[in-house]
Amino acid sequence: MVSLPPSRRAAAVLLGVAALAPLIVRDSFVLDSLILILMWGALSAAWNVAGGYAGQVSLGHAAFFGIGAYSAALMTARFQQSPWLGLVLGVVLSLAAGGAIGYLSNRLRGPYFALSTIAFSQVLLIGASRWRGFTAGSEGIPVPFRPGVWTLGLGHVAWVYVALVLAVLCYAVEIWLEGSRIGYQLAGIREDEDAAEALGIASRRLKVFAVTLSAALTSVGGTLWAQYVGFVDPFYVFSIDLSIRFALNTIIGGLGTALGPFLGSILITSLETYLRATFSGFKTGFAGIYLVIYGTALILVVRFAPEGLIGLAGRFGAWRARADA
Amino acid sequence: MDPARRLGRAQIDVLAQLGVSTVLLGGIYALIAVGLTLIFGIMRVVNFAHGEFLMLGMYVAFWAYSLWTLDPYFVLFVSIPLFFGIGYVTYVLVMRGVIHASHNVQIFTTVGLSTALQNVALVLWTGDFRTVRPWHSSVVIRVFGTAFNLSQVVAFAIALGLTLVLFAFMKWTHTGRVMRATAQDHDAATLMGVDTDKVYRLTFAIGIACVGAAGALVSPLYAVYPTAGLQFVLLAYVVVVLGGLGDMVGAMLGSLIVAAVEVVGSYFFGVAWKEVCYFILFIAVLVFRPAGLFGQRGAETLGV
Repeated sequence: MVSLPPSRRAAAVLLGVAALAPLIVRDSFVLDSLILILMWGALSAAWNVAGGYAGQVSLGHAAFFGIGAYSAALMTARFQQSPWLGLVLGVVLSLAAGGAIGYLSNRLRGPYFALSTIAFSQVLLIGASRWRGFTAGSEGIPVPFRPGVWTLGLGHVAWVYVALVLAVLCYAVEIWLEGSRIGYQLAGIREDEDAAEALGIASRRLKVFAVTLSAALTSVGGTLWAQYVGFVDPFYVFSIDLSIRFALNTIIGGLGTALGPFLGSILITSLETYLRATFSGFKTGFAGIYLVIYGTALILVVRFAPEGLIGLAGRFGAWRARADA
Repeated sequence: MDPARRLGRAQIDVLAQLGVSTVLLGGIYALIAVGLTLIFGIMRVVNFAHGEFLMLGMYVAFWAYSLWTLDPYFVLFVSIPLFFGIGYVTYVLVMRGVIHASHNVQIFTTVGLSTALQNVALVLWTGDFRTVRPWHSSVVIRVFGTAFNLSQVVAFAIALGLTLVLFAFMKWTHTGRVMRATAQDHDAATLMGVDTDKVYRLTFAIGIACVGAAGALVSPLYAVYPTAGLQFVLLAYVVVVLGGLGDMVGAMLGSLIVAAVEVVGSYFFGVAWKEVCYFILFIAVLVFRPAGLFGQRGAETLGV
């Protein structure tokens, strides 16, 4: 425990608190916030695999989220099957879609890649919202609630643990990337793709791998989110706002760091739920103020603290160490 | 020849209507896209917040109309200098610091700007759809079996006029030449004594002025709401990539192509599926000719 770097210790503490919280707190509002923090954190970590570690900035990750959400919702609402089958189907579809997007990342760089991912998620949005016969179109799909683990009809406490498992899974993938050969190779590609190729790194294959892995994790998150919330709205699950949210959490927390996406999620999700609860009655539009704050924060963070909260914490630690010496 | 397939009077009318609609729509798209491509061509930044400035332009026209019943076309005289100023200030406050940063930093900066502006509009003016209905939006003109709306024609004429003024400015004025020189080679331009920061300020201001003007022009035709910019800016990306990012003439041709795809797509597949048509076109162009139909090959892999 002592030899762990501070960010790992912080992660262990945060995940431990999340695991113990349901044993102490029974307030459903608090538990709901906790579940959402864990889910958005995990989804942002999934985005981080492609956007942070491999440097392939996607603004269309909502596509994979929506694939996961729709697979499970259609599986339960239309075919009366278990959402777990939907989860598997979503992962399979997202692997295919992620492979296609990964292929695009080999042809396009920077803003071109970001634009192509937006276009991809928009095509799925239009498809889902207009194909009335199959997806129920723009009305969306209510997910039936059937109690049981196999049908994912769970209470708040159980959902905390499902979300926690997802969060630990995504965190573990990030930690694995940080220490593995593939992770170092991806970092090389991110910093300078031509130099990495010159060193014999198979950059094309690795980029496809990173994007596909990220897509599959995002799809799992999408499935669980849809089953938890109980409703799939195409204009939400495929929205650009959602794609930006994954990026936003990660950058504010710390791009390319394992804990960053979770820190970002804690900040953004808690302020969002607080403002929603406070302003829900008289002026719903006012809840949007948190996005004004975070849009501005995003501009300031990439300019002045490009390593996010993690970087700030590191600088603060270094400053304190100097002050002590 | 099968008599049913011969071009009759009705078919010619349909073709003429599709053609006229394409040109009218294309002119407006061109004004939106030309600002985006100008900013990209000179500053090498894809402005992901471009649509939000269009949305603000539409709101300016909406408020001028509902508070003082000012016609959107008169509002233009205020809008253009106003958005020139907004663009200038935005450059100084937001863009200047990231102009030499990596692509990802630039993407996140403009995305953050887009999120902030959208939600400022949401907080100030709620998410309601708002419309401007001046007298000319309900006047229909009929020529040779084609019918179109007066607002659309005027918007097209003004958009075309403004685009041509911009072209002339870029081609024949000293400032325009300096801007093009900066686009071609930033370092060489600096060595020749060009103040590139000044060029960037001006470029961003002009690009935003174009899109602010476009906002006023489309306000009688489309409803405005905080995310209204999105539908147009996605189109503008398609246009700009088709024409080759940074290529102004390409942007004009791209606008016509996208307008044609939209008009013909809506005619044959229904309005609901028209967007799918141009997104598929977009992805196909990105896959097969990523530097645009007329652009230089290889630009996309340089990431510029």
